[in-house]
Amino acid sequence: MTAISLSAIEKSFGTTPVLNGINLDIADGEFLTLVGPSGCGKSTLLRILAGLEAPSSGEVVIGGQTVNAVRPARRNLAMVFQSYALYPHLSVLQNMMTPLKLRDLSLAGRLPLLGPVLARAQYRAIVEQVRETAEILKIDHLLDRKPGQLSGGQRQRAALGRAMVRKPVAFLMDEPLSNLDAALRIHMRSELAELHRSLKTTFVYVTHDQAEALTMSDRMAVMMDGEILQLGAPHDVYNDPQDIRVAEFVGAPRINLLPGSLDNNGHARCGDIVLSRAATAGAVGSVSIGLRPEHLSLCEKGTPEALSGQVVHKENLGADIYLHVSVLNGSQRLVVRVAPHEGQGASFGQTVHIMREHGQALVFGKDRKRLDLKTAGTGNVAEVA
Amino acid sequence: MQTTKAHWWFVGPALFLMVVILLMPIAIAGALSFTSYSLGNPGAEFVGLENYEKIFTRSTYEKMFGATFRYVFVVVPLSVGLGLGAALLINSTRRFGDLYKTIYFLPVMAALIAMAIVWEFAFHPTIGIVNSTLERGCGSVLEAWSWFARGCERGFPLWLTDRDYAIWTVAFIGVWQGFGFNMVLYLAGLTSVPRELYHAAEMDGAETAWDRFRLVTWPMLGPTTVFVVTISFIRSFQVFDTVEAFYPQGGGPSKSVYVMMFAIYEKAIQQNLMGIGSAITVVFLAFVMFLTLMQRWLVERRVHYT
Repeated sequence: MTAISLSAIEKSFGTTPVLNGINLDIADGEFLTLVGPSGCGKSTLLRILAGLEAPSSGEVVIGGQTVNAVRPARRNLAMVFQSYALYPHLSVLQNMMTPLKLRDLSLAGRLPLLGPVLARAQYRAIVEQVRETAEILKIDHLLDRKPGQLSGGQRQRAALGRAMVRKPVAFLMDEPLSNLDAALRIHMRSELAELHRSLKTTFVYVTHDQAEALTMSDRMAVMMDGEILQLGAPHDVYNDPQDIRVAEFVGAPRINLLPGSLDNNGHARCGDIVLSRAATAGAVGSVSIGLRPEHLSLCEKGTPEALSGQVVHKENLGADIYLHVSVLNGSQRLVVRVAPHEGQGASFGQTVHIMREHGQALVFGKDRKRLDLKTAGTGNVAEVA
Repeated sequence: MQTTKAHWWFVGPALFLMVVILLMPIAIAGALSFTSYSLGNPGAEFVGLENYEKIFTRSTYEKMFGATFRYVFVVVPLSVGLGLGAALLINSTRRFGDLYKTIYFLPVMAALIAMAIVWEFAFHPTIGIVNSTLERGCGSVLEAWSWFARGCERGFPLWLTDRDYAIWTVAFIGVWQGFGFNMVLYLAGLTSVPRELYHAAEMDGAETAWDRFRLVTWPMLGPTTVFVVTISFIRSFQVFDTVEAFYPQGGGPSKSVYVMMFAIYEKAIQQNLMGIGSAITVVFLAFVMFLTLMQRWLVERRVHYT
């Protein structure tokens, strides 16, 4: 079931176009991530969905109802902001009570001092609801504190609590983890994913961190220059990128790109290397050949189709070592993932030989789109071998 | 342990100036308030608390306190309220904001003594624009208002010389002159309210402007308000130039506009009664100190959030 649907959304600030006709359907209960470099329009899209920004054209549909003319407060969405945007003068309890008070209480019930007396039963229910939410988020011992007295992680939870305390149609999160330190960010990734599983509510999550998108989402939309380049499950986006920009953006370290060309049979070549799979006949010209670091490995000297180069940099991540190798006479740099026992011995300037895992290379044409490769007939294989 | 006296050289000049030009005059005024000193007299007689006794028993000084507090408690709330209102309105317009700012700030920049003369003309009972405008309303529905009908019958009030109206007229001019200053302070305060808080409030269901004001604007303007209220109190306690311009001969009709600053001036300078003048000064200082400290203690604890 579609919970939220954005169709042909365009937005420009003055003459600068920010979004160019975005179409996006978000399923009920889905964790969808909008990911892209800064300035790609992902936050603007989220704010259009929230109603904080009006689209120049296009339609926003929530729960089967067009909400373009509905103000944010009535769209029943909850948002977690990058800066958390907690009310600094209110305690965590009061912060979390605010959305319930504004929605459930009459004007008289919201009066200071007098309100809690007039609507005592309602107040008790609200406080009870806040306490339940606080217990889920493990911030029940912080309810009396002001945001200024909380650490970054606690503020983040309080902001989450304020969003969670009522039952919104969807949670919108605008880079909620970017103000946390690295360790906490990784911890919160799994907590948010767990929270999503237990709440079963739609999450729309904006981030510039491809790792967050890959680890948490059901589907991710990679945005660039105001367009969605690819929308799909993290696994598909990573392994089957349809655009060179997606391939470059998703995955860390970045995918290795080697310049190459297509021969008449549709085989991509780069120096001595010829890919055995071929593009559809007729496609010729220069291409980029993409190889992920994990699809490369060290090999013995003399292995057919191996690339040789000098080690220029070594990144030791503990479980893996990434070797940066200067190849093709220093014109290109490849990053190779190797196991610690292999990489430990490698020293700067040392010549190493690199082999690729067959069938994993991605070829992109000049129009930045992925070229479909098919396993070619036997005749061609012989040539390659 | 101390090997150098350099620190005295650093704080010395500031300390010296503070003592000589701030603390000593206050101490001298305090000392003089217990005497019957007059300028030019070689000596002075110690009179104990006699000066203070006069201040708190004589009807002249009772009127002085009455006029001062009337003025202060009209001007402070109105100029703060109007300043905030104007700031919110200007902040919400996209166009002409700078124009409005300039217009509202003009009275602040103008010399009040010159403006007082302009107002004196405006309030003139026969040639003034205020009463002649009011007279044009005679015979219309406005006469249903009994005050207005009485004005048409017996003439509109002599704003500046009727003792029932004088202090309120002076207070009105005080508000007119002062609220532009508060507006500028509030405008500065409004620029520091994070935009995201308004968005959060909107997402939380704050639909009306009043809800957003209560939830975000007013609390976030807390520190500005403390400052604005304190400044307004001190400025309105200090009111002098309008009173001096309108009533150089002593405090208006039946001394109904006999504010403290004017009393100090009249006693100490015009009548050369330094002792009583100093005593009023000390009382004046005590009021201002009391208000300032009270505001700091009561409010500042609740308006700074970090």
